[in-house]
Amino acid sequence: MAPAGPRFGDAIFANVERVNAELFTLTYGAIVRQLLTDLEEVEEVNKQLDQMGYNIGIRLIDEFLAKSNVSRCVDFKETAEMIAKVGFKMFLGVSASVTNWDADGTCCGIVLEDNPLVDFVELPDTCQGLYYCNILSGVIRGALEMVSMKTEITWVRDMLRGDDAFELQVKLLKQVPEEYPYKDDE
Amino acid sequence: MGREVSESCIDSLLTEMVTTYCNRFYANKPELAARRIEAIGFQVGHQLSERYTMERPRFSDHLEAIKFICKDFWSELFKKQIDNLKTNHRGTFVLQDNRFRWLTHLSLDPTTENTEDPNGRSENKGAQVASMHLYFPCGIIRGALSNLGIPCAVSADISNLPQCSFVIRIKA
Amino acid sequence: MIVCVAVVGHQNNPLYIQSFTEADDALKLHHIVHSSLDVVDERVNNPRKSGPTLNETFLGLLYPTENYKVYGYLTNTKVKFILVTTDLDVRDADVRNFFRRFHAAYVDAVSNPFHVPGKKIISRTFADRVSTIVKSFGLSSAD
Repeated sequence: MAPAGPRFGDAIFANVERVNAELFTLTYGAIVRQLLTDLEEVEEVNKQLDQMGYNIGIRLIDEFLAKSNVSRCVDFKETAEMIAKVGFKMFLGVSASVTNWDADGTCCGIVLEDNPLVDFVELPDTCQGLYYCNILSGVIRGALEMVSMKTEITWVRDMLRGDDAFELQVKLLKQVPEEYPYKDDE
Repeated sequence: MGREVSESCIDSLLTEMVTTYCNRFYANKPELAARRIEAIGFQVGHQLSERYTMERPRFSDHLEAIKFICKDFWSELFKKQIDNLKTNHRGTFVLQDNRFRWLTHLSLDPTTENTEDPNGRSENKGAQVASMHLYFPCGIIRGALSNLGIPCAVSADISNLPQCSFVIRIKA
Repeated sequence: MIVCVAVVGHQNNPLYIQSFTEADDALKLHHIVHSSLDVVDERVNNPRKSGPTLNETFLGLLYPTENYKVYGYLTNTKVKFILVTTDLDVRDADVRNFFRRFHAAYVDAVSNPFHVPGKKIISRTFADRVSTIVKSFGLSSAD
């Protein structure tokens, strides 16, 4: 399998169709605001953003595997690196890093210092409980589920709440071994 | 060169937004879903017109503002201009995009690609999904023009896919 | 020295006003800003041939008072920016540069998804940026 060096992600990003990030950033912002208007409860908005992300993640994984030419990652550690270095770069044009591994290699932090989703965003006091970027955790959770890794993802740091970076804690709950229980056409 | 993201980011987000509003929130009330999607577009258009007119002189009339939408504004969003602009000189403008990007990507979506149905029902369904997607760009155009001081109504005509015509009716 | 900057909406509703003086003359400055709005309208409706080119966002010197010079700027979205300075010898290029940077800060502030169009701009980032731009006024040739 290909090494997940930093240049690897750059090269893929250079080759995909790209659009002006402002359109994406402002569209996401307008969706979040509309959800807040429609759902009223900040908790409910967090849930919906995660759900939207999950739905996107389960579809985006195919594009990721195809464009990155990555064969299935061996273990969770390698997978986390791949998401941070290649996945983020390929879609959002920024790379993330992986830190804070626990002893048995099933829990880590994905750290994002530059995040196009929050360009221009300032949370009003009324939205302090909002995980503005919650769609990202959903995307990762959805994508990982499609490669047989069930995870639980929580925000540890959030720049919109005054932290110095964004950090998602990704915890591997269960890894279904190399079999495809629902695929019976072979 | 400004910041960029992969096109699949915006495509996935728009598809998911439409699904969320049409299938999850307002499955039986398409007109409510449409209004929400249009409102999201309106906010985006309002903000984008602010950004994209930053370095230029003020428009002296409606036509100049509409031409700006057709050229610079469209190019920023779709890397191409509107292909044809028509007007009746009484406040109605038709902006025709021969290959509207957000629809060409839509047709790749397997849920809408089912034209073999003999009674044509799923084709109808596809058109419905497409029209839901179009409330977003209609909202963008209305938001942009409204911020430029031109209140209007915007609708889309897709009788000739993948061509798409946006009809702008300026309110007197 | 810049003593006051303001952003005013298309219905002459104040969106942001900030004075930068120690002296207790905020009311006076607000009054100056308020009076300048009519001049902006007049300037836009009756453009002078000799003045800035037609429909240019920069409106130039609106009027001098005994102690201040007042400059104006009108965006394509009909939002007015007003600058009040005590400097007597002001270079046109510095004022243009100021408004260009101020406009960029304004555009980013209203791109916040939580900003409501037509409502006051409540943003720490905007306030900080404006303060930086104000402080560097006239120093443009240095950077």
